[in-house]
Amino acid sequence: MSVASPRQPGGPRVAVVLGSGSVKCAAALGLLRVLKREGIGVDMIVGCSGGSVYAALIAMGHDVDTAEAMTRRLWTRELTARRNHRSLLSVFLPRLFGFDESFGMVDDALILERLKATFGSASIESAGIPLYLTATDFHTGEQVVFESGPIVDAIRASIAIPYVFRPWPIGGRMLVDGFMSDPMPVGVAIRQGANIIVTMGFESPYQQKINSPLRFAFQLSSITSNNLLKSNFAFHNLAHHAEILPIIPEFKDRIHLFDTEKIPYVIEEGERAAERQVPYLRRLLATREESGMPR
Amino acid sequence: MTAGEPAHAVEETRTTAAQAPPRRTRIGVVIGSGSIKCASALGLLRVLEKERIAVDLAVGCSAGGLYASALALGWDLDMTAQRSQEMWQGLFARFDYSAIVRGLFPRLFGGRGPVGLLDERRLKSVLETLYGETTFQEARIPLHLVATDMKTGESVVLSEGRLQDAARASVAIPVLLAPWPVNGRLLFDGGASDPLPVSVAIREGCDIILAMGFENPLNERVGSLMSLVSQTTYITMNNLLKSTYSFYNAAHHAEIIPIIPTFDRHVGLRDSSLHPYMIERGEEAAVKQLPFLRRLLAAS
Repeated sequence: MSVASPRQPGGPRVAVVLGSGSVKCAAALGLLRVLKREGIGVDMIVGCSGGSVYAALIAMGHDVDTAEAMTRRLWTRELTARRNHRSLLSVFLPRLFGFDESFGMVDDALILERLKATFGSASIESAGIPLYLTATDFHTGEQVVFESGPIVDAIRASIAIPYVFRPWPIGGRMLVDGFMSDPMPVGVAIRQGANIIVTMGFESPYQQKINSPLRFAFQLSSITSNNLLKSNFAFHNLAHHAEILPIIPEFKDRIHLFDTEKIPYVIEEGERAAERQVPYLRRLLATREESGMPR
Repeated sequence: MTAGEPAHAVEETRTTAAQAPPRRTRIGVVIGSGSIKCASALGLLRVLEKERIAVDLAVGCSAGGLYASALALGWDLDMTAQRSQEMWQGLFARFDYSAIVRGLFPRLFGGRGPVGLLDERRLKSVLETLYGETTFQEARIPLHLVATDMKTGESVVLSEGRLQDAARASVAIPVLLAPWPVNGRLLFDGGASDPLPVSVAIREGCDIILAMGFENPLNERVGSLMSLVSQTTYITMNNLLKSTYSFYNAAHHAEIIPIIPTFDRHVGLRDSSLHPYMIERGEEAAVKQLPFLRRLLAAS
């Protein structure tokens, strides 16, 4: 069964928003499992950073097991094993090795290859459920929303983690990770007219010890983006009449960037967190359908 | 009221409270983060002084803290402008290049964490000259400076103790200045958690809030790791500025008057000579909002 809903016109528009959170984003598959079990249809999916991978997989109609298997093939430690030596040298000898905005510590050939193996040449507009993927313009700082074009490109831009992967050019713009403009892009679902927004987001983890410039840079990035996450969420909740249901999975241990072996556990926690919101979601769907909310 | 009449005193207090005239409108001034551009705040302060508009509360974030404290301490504005120009000029007179090396090879140099590019001794002597041993308690109106906790990412409001320490922590612009310990917490630039802390003025019960804020300038070209870190941080900080500002505006009934100076030329960190220009732009932005402020004051 697909989650794409053959709903009656006039019913509420349900959106799923998947924020940034690297491996933790796999919890989205737990949410998907719950939505399928409950027969709740989804009208649009928005994804950012790690969430963009799962947003695309779900929008393309993959079931939980397939999507899990695909992401476990896609996201492994080998991705960062090959360093980008030229980039690293350019830190020390910027003139000689031409330090510029395309800096990335990691050779990104493998991630691109894996993304192609996973998504092929599929386009965003061909997905079964309307799909929106977000990135950030490196020069203006603005959020960029993709609603068409190759999925691979949009995801590659959306996951361009600063310092790790180099920014990705699309249409003459240099793009970086979507979390830098909005770590949980509920705003996109609001603008697209969703009435009920089921959203999953994660705070970026803090460094336990800040003993190198890189850790310092990561810490800065976590601090600013976590504050942005909270502020945006507060604003979106307040300013709009759409119902926003946050699904926040809780993890006993720290989940690191490449703890892919923990994906089954992450999915389970996602499922648990989603289940907690089902009764409320059901009530919302019932009242919204009765009142015939405008589409 | 004389001693020995407690019952009467209580009675009198009650009556006074019941018949008290409506509370006077409380005005707060918030100066957000914006490094050297914060000097424009002197233009706003000049307008407030000229128009005899009394301010009840000052809030500052990052470099904005310097000008918020000038307001709260009642410094002479011409003197402050002069000191401000000298400060910015002196800060960039010498880069501490050894900090780059220490930063890149932390183990080699027994580094204990992030370092800053600016000459720490220079800044210390500047803050020493500006504040000496002055404390928050000595300010004429309540003063609050905003910093960010390096460990938890939370916004921290500093309202007591030595101003020198609070200002140093609040202004610790990433990469340029190392974080600073205050009361056992490692603090840095308030811009990373609340770049234009209107929130503090709201919490302190202001009815009218004059808020001067600045977006961080983004670079066309990124030519070093330092500037990449700045660009990355500034992108999220600018988005945070917009987000928090939208939230404060939507969530509260206090009147928030944005005072946003516009610059028709580039103002870089080393452009301390542009002080008269920045102050003029700040003045202009403030004057534009005067009629609205006057109407608000008349209505209250």
